[in-house]
Amino acid sequence: MAAPTVKVARGWWGLAFGVRRAVLRLPGLTLVRWSRYGPEYQDPQIDKEYYRKPLAQLTEEETYERELRKTQVIKAAPATKTSSVFEDPMISKFTNMMMKGGNKVLARSLMTQTLEAVKRKQFEKYHAASAEEQATIERNPYTIFHQALKNCEPVIGLVPILKGGHFYQVPVPLADRRRRFLAMKWMIAECREKKPRRMLMPEKLSQELLEAFYSRGPVIKRKHDMHKMAEANRALAHYRWW
Amino acid sequence: MSTGIMLKGMTRLVSRVHKLDPGRFLHSGTQASQCLVAHLNNQVPNESPRAISRTLENDPAKHGEQHVGQHYSISVQELKTVFPHGLPPRFVMQVKTFNEACLMVRKPALELLHYLKNTNFAHPAVRYILYGEKGTGKTLSLCHIIHFCAKQDWLILHIPDAHLWVKNCRDLLQSTYNKQRFDQPLEASIWLKNFKTANERFLSQIKVQDKYVWNKRESTEKGSPLAEVVEQGIMRVRNATDAVGIVLKELKRQSSLGIFRLLVAVDGVNALWGRTTLKREDKSLIAPEELALIYNLRKMVKNDWQGGAIVLTVSQTGSLFKPRKAYLPQELLGKEGFDTLDPFIPILVSNYNPKEFEGCIQYYLENSWLQHEKAHTEEGKKELLFLSNRNPGLLERLCAYL
Repeated sequence: MAAPTVKVARGWWGLAFGVRRAVLRLPGLTLVRWSRYGPEYQDPQIDKEYYRKPLAQLTEEETYERELRKTQVIKAAPATKTSSVFEDPMISKFTNMMMKGGNKVLARSLMTQTLEAVKRKQFEKYHAASAEEQATIERNPYTIFHQALKNCEPVIGLVPILKGGHFYQVPVPLADRRRRFLAMKWMIAECREKKPRRMLMPEKLSQELLEAFYSRGPVIKRKHDMHKMAEANRALAHYRWW
Repeated sequence: MSTGIMLKGMTRLVSRVHKLDPGRFLHSGTQASQCLVAHLNNQVPNESPRAISRTLENDPAKHGEQHVGQHYSISVQELKTVFPHGLPPRFVMQVKTFNEACLMVRKPALELLHYLKNTNFAHPAVRYILYGEKGTGKTLSLCHIIHFCAKQDWLILHIPDAHLWVKNCRDLLQSTYNKQRFDQPLEASIWLKNFKTANERFLSQIKVQDKYVWNKRESTEKGSPLAEVVEQGIMRVRNATDAVGIVLKELKRQSSLGIFRLLVAVDGVNALWGRTTLKREDKSLIAPEELALIYNLRKMVKNDWQGGAIVLTVSQTGSLFKPRKAYLPQELLGKEGFDTLDPFIPILVSNYNPKEFEGCIQYYLENSWLQHEKAHTEEGKKELLFLSNRNPGLLERLCAYL
């Protein structure tokens, strides 16, 4: 959101209804990148099935909810969230992480080319394999993508904690979203840094995704390294206070 | 009471009989094997809810209205001989992935086939131009025609993409034959190799009618087979362009004699009259007629010879300095090109109609190309229809990652 930076303003000038007041905690703290919507704004309901339900079939709570939504203000739906049946939030998040300089067109085309490359490679394997093996080969690029990223997620992470003037790497359980984020970040970093000069991103990414799907490859190794470090620093676990 | 129930049963049976159409009775009356063949080839409306996407009829000569929207397959050997070049790159990828080459039978190609079947070879060659928006299937329709002509034993002169000859040429030589023109040895030699693969059997039968001197030591005598000229062009890359010129001249002269029938198929013929991006050493632009390959090809596309047909495609993809939305022959050929090609039969290639779209989706489902779970549902199909607007090229790209 290209919202202009709002300095700590004392006063109400130029503020539209619903925009959060520039309430501020510390002087010099600017409201950049935070949501400009006030707390009364509700998230948009994008699901088509919600609206297709015939009015007669709604329960009491649902009718109440619908009537309530008619009175509430709703945020604008972002351009990237569609009501398409083919939409996948994980793929969208991965595409956003791959994006550089706001070039979503390029990021999306790289993502689609990667999925196509994964599919073609699996089809080749399928046609070359015998009848028994054919049942085991997975050709759906989306299941491969999800499984690969799931295989790359670390179970436990390290957090630098300041104690006695030194930073110690303390093993800490990670939240689900942090794990997903780390898996995607490692995958993208691996593909950007360690690829040969003339190889294109879709080819390298498809290669890495397939290797992670079979639980081998450099990203899985990085996850295991993280686990080993956490195991090694087990003694520092009591530095964690949450 | 029992008679009342019996009567009700009878009336229900009678009403059900009336609902069936008479065609069904006829089909059920014939033998089982005929029934199976009929089921596969013809589309019986009430038979199955899904469209039929394949046909067993692999000979383009026998394709008719009933095969529209269905795919027929080309065997791998035929693919290697008939199409050493000329298939669109995405189609080649698809052939490699599916291990089979299937083309869809569509109306524009059927129309052209009908005209070709009824050509009078005593009259001058008729020019047909396939035109349409981007991704509608002009090149693949051209390939369908070429396959038909190859099966009918015509000599195929197929230039896969004339745009490749007017841009990105690394080595331009001054032509040995005519000082004003330029040679393109690489493109010419590649084309000669592919031409040889496609038309092996004709090259030994056709005899050259002039003596051609290549340099102080080599020459081709009058009466020697055309294969020698082609070999010379492939061996000595410097003379490749001249070899191409000779091949074109000889074929044009001898097609009227009736030994063989000639099909001239050029994809992207608007490159012959457009602009080039090639420059001389002093950085001045070269006009297309100064390129020997283009000059000779222009002579080929004129309708002053008999004994064959000329099928052309105009395309904006790959063209130089033409707006993206231009697809009509007048816009793409320019005044000069249009006047040269003037009496021609235009054939519009448009997006899929609903039946063809269903057939295409069915083909992808049969090959399990659509792996996304939602793509099998009605919702998914509606979305694909909306996103692609039934454009074949777009649909193929969409289904590639779903």
